[in-house]
Amino acid sequence: MSAIGELQRLNTTTGGPPRKKDNRAAFVFLLPWFAGLVLITAGPVAASFVLGFTDYNLIQPPEFSGVENFQRMLSDERLHQALAVTFKYVFISVPLQLAAALGLAMLLDRGLRGLAFYRSAFYLPSLLGSSVAIAVLWRQIFGADGLFNQALGLVGIEGRGWISDPDTALSTLIVLNVWTFGAPMVIFLAGLRQIPAMYYEAASVDGAGKATQFRKITIPLLSPIIFFNLVLQIIHAFQSFTQAFVVSGGSGGPSDSTLFYTLYLYQRGFHNFDMGYASALAWLLLLIIAAFTAVNFWAAKRWVFYDD
Amino acid sequence: MTDLQERVVAPIPTVEKAPRVRNPARSLAKHTGLILLALIMLYPVLWMVVSSLRPNSEIFRSPGIVLDSLQTGNYGEGWNALSAPFSHFLINSGIVVLGCIIGNLVSCSMAAYAFARLEFTGKKLWFAIMLGTIMLPIHVIIVPQYIMFSQLGWVNTFLPLIVPKLLATDAFFVFLMVQFIRGLPKELDEAARIDGAGHPRIFLQVILPLMLPALATTTIFTFIWTWNDFFSQLIYLTDPEMYTVPVALRSFVDATVATSWGSMFAMSVVSLLPIFLAFLIGQRYLIKGIATTGIK
Amino acid sequence: MQNGMSRRSLLSLGLGLGAATTLAACGGGGGGDAGGEISKDAVKLRFTWWGSDARHKRTQQAIDLFTKKYPNITVSGEFKEWNGYWDSLATTVAANDAPDIIQMDELYLASYAERGALLDLKTAEKHLKTADIDGEALKTGQVDGKQYAIPTGVAAYSIVANTDLLAQYKIPVPDDSTWTWDDLKRIGVEVSKASGGKVTGVQSWGFDSGGINIWARQAGATLYDDAGKVSIPPEVLANYWQYLLDLAKNGIAPAPSVTVERASAPLDQSGTATNTSAFGTWWNTQLTSLAAASGQNLKLLKLPTNGQPGAATAPYYKPSMFWSVSSRSKHPAEAALFVDFLLNTTEAGEVLLTDRGLPANATVRTAITPKLTATDKAAADYLGALQVGPAPRVTPNGASSIETILKRHTEEVLFERQTPQQAAAGFIKELQAEIDAA
Repeated sequence: MSAIGELQRLNTTTGGPPRKKDNRAAFVFLLPWFAGLVLITAGPVAASFVLGFTDYNLIQPPEFSGVENFQRMLSDERLHQALAVTFKYVFISVPLQLAAALGLAMLLDRGLRGLAFYRSAFYLPSLLGSSVAIAVLWRQIFGADGLFNQALGLVGIEGRGWISDPDTALSTLIVLNVWTFGAPMVIFLAGLRQIPAMYYEAASVDGAGKATQFRKITIPLLSPIIFFNLVLQIIHAFQSFTQAFVVSGGSGGPSDSTLFYTLYLYQRGFHNFDMGYASALAWLLLLIIAAFTAVNFWAAKRWVFYDD
Repeated sequence: MTDLQERVVAPIPTVEKAPRVRNPARSLAKHTGLILLALIMLYPVLWMVVSSLRPNSEIFRSPGIVLDSLQTGNYGEGWNALSAPFSHFLINSGIVVLGCIIGNLVSCSMAAYAFARLEFTGKKLWFAIMLGTIMLPIHVIIVPQYIMFSQLGWVNTFLPLIVPKLLATDAFFVFLMVQFIRGLPKELDEAARIDGAGHPRIFLQVILPLMLPALATTTIFTFIWTWNDFFSQLIYLTDPEMYTVPVALRSFVDATVATSWGSMFAMSVVSLLPIFLAFLIGQRYLIKGIATTGIK
Repeated sequence: MQNGMSRRSLLSLGLGLGAATTLAACGGGGGGDAGGEISKDAVKLRFTWWGSDARHKRTQQAIDLFTKKYPNITVSGEFKEWNGYWDSLATTVAANDAPDIIQMDELYLASYAERGALLDLKTAEKHLKTADIDGEALKTGQVDGKQYAIPTGVAAYSIVANTDLLAQYKIPVPDDSTWTWDDLKRIGVEVSKASGGKVTGVQSWGFDSGGINIWARQAGATLYDDAGKVSIPPEVLANYWQYLLDLAKNGIAPAPSVTVERASAPLDQSGTATNTSAFGTWWNTQLTSLAAASGQNLKLLKLPTNGQPGAATAPYYKPSMFWSVSSRSKHPAEAALFVDFLLNTTEAGEVLLTDRGLPANATVRTAITPKLTATDKAAADYLGALQVGPAPRVTPNGASSIETILKRHTEEVLFERQTPQQAAAGFIKELQAEIDAA
């Protein structure tokens, strides 16, 4: 499915004859994972796949409905809205969040006084997670009486209820996502720490400027981590649920402008007792995410640098 | 650390220990910018702390984050508002978090080592499957999974929350560690192999110590995410005796009647402390990477 | 189910969904006998409800009273917040692991009852008496002629007016026995003008099903007919949205984005609670919470009418919430006994007070009246003085998401993305489709 090209490289060691397989060692190392896959993951995943072809209201047993659920997707206008919202969200918020995370990680990596303070301050918002407080807090910023409007008022611009206006609601969620860039930032920080300092020193001696160092050293050596963040943040953004759920009170409103895919799926499954259709939707989402991940892995051959 | 490692990994001075000479004006500008940014980032958090110190009736009627009076009553009230003192929920969350951290550290690092360093049959396929498992939204998995766990009699225990982590079902961390291990120079393994080390020894004595930042990241994230995870804890823990912090916190709120916001914010602040501490402690280990060592 | 039955069973077995769901298909027969004797042995009941911390406390006290009276029965209370409650309930029902006693809402009653998840409480009438409960109120818990739920209390739709604000702007409190929807507009304009826009006359509504129910009934129609079809005429619904739109456009109600923001915010952040709207539509039982949040004097007013034929009997008793018993309960008799205790004893009533609405049991209501706060008393008086018509049909199976659909269409109208006519047609079509699909 995905990862094929990438693993092609993984399989062949650079130089020398191909190594012999370590099947036995691999089995031992992978034993917990295999056990989890078979005992915990496989059953529910298979069940959700089968349920995608049924009419299942959670209370009564499922009933086979063939590909009806998938046909229904074609004419489901709310699904199309959910797809539009989700794609927009993924394409805008992931690059912004990663750029913010990488930028600050570089800034906070070394040679700055008060590093620990800044790191903690920037990470703190991410700690709030899906706390119920988020909804209230977000209204304090982007609500009609929020901080943002007060700031706009100072410069004489009349604001509006940014969260509740269908034209701007999604943007506030994108900002919310960028605001919680703590997780990728921490991963970048950890990754930056793996780059041997002597590379930079050598480059400095050679007279390379900051920009060149960034291009020639940081980016290539950090590329496995950038790649990881990119892949995972895309997967994560496609599955985005909690923030829209909490901020819109579960509705995906106003006017479905924040109806994320998983939020819609959740509404169908739990509010409308339509778990069969929800399962089918989940598998469509899986296909979409898998396609994006596969493209990512394919493209990675061109820019991700591994030492092996 | 073994002598094997000391031989290949000789420390050299880091950049942090030798800061470059900086222009004071630029430095001032940088700090001003950063502090401003930090304030914007922290505003909602500050608002929450301030609100937890306000009487309930004032929270939504008085804007801004300037306190006229300091009221700590919300903390006492919130602490005792539910069926058990809030410490009970903190302890429950602590147990779940601890189990999940141990599980993720052990099982994910083992799986990651296999994917990053070993050659085995069907590796591509297994790797793709591993990634695939994080692509299905939990909402369609939870019902079949609940049925499965309820038949095992695990509902209303911490097992459905912890056991999956012991079995490396969190592919995020497996993938994270794979990327980190692949960033480590292979010469280290080769050197160890030539010295006659087998895979267990290479894993334990070469790879693990070097991937400390990844392990710290895993620990911090597992801590925070488990601490905040609402949905599965809500579903699996039915008895208030077993409630964890996020489940307890939400039971303060009812949109159709008056909510004790003061208590809710107070307990939100309380529940933020452990993860913030975890982050403060954990971040030291984030920066102890291979960067402090001079390979090549 | 009919001929799907065997296929369903096969499929659920194949899926490992287990006997749980297969059994549910056959309906009834949870193992216990609802009409049997109360067990002398130890019995463990699970009881679930949603609410906030204040309700959790009161309910636990009531549980303690019950277990003191029946020492062999233990009741473990499982409390959740609204959204989590329904996710959790659906999951436990799917796994045949539902709690014995379930707090139920009008929106979801038919969805669970028609699919066989709830016990017909008539089979437990030996332990659960309903004689003291108003007949109209009792009817709201019936689906297909079976008593799947009993209302804990009742509420009625009302307008909450802030008399302090009105006094401040020297506007007389309107006479709610004669006022019309046009009067509300007129007074609303006065308030908005007098305050310079800081306080709006009306906090616009259109997000809960109470509003359109009343509007339909005033026009002599109903939201659903007896068969469970959507029966509100499109033009009536269009008028409703036109009215809301007029409020917003004339500055009587806040700007749409503010209205929508408040609609998804908790009660404490509403215009009524923050004293930024002089009038708002609420259930009368919310008066106490609102008054506590606002800190000013609030008064319940009857809804305006336009003097149409249906206007006199348009108001109705809405069950605040219900008690239900799971059809899979192993101890239905004991569960029914517990519901009886909560519903019909003054000792429980004196603890629970009006937390779940004004008690539906007339005796209990009288007994607790002296204990009520001033605002609770005002709510009780409002209810007592109200002339009500027959209760509307319970929300049909499949329509549990009506408020989400309603909210979205109201938003479309307020932001002028759809005309009231388009929204009315779209709303009816979508809601009917959900009902048909269930």
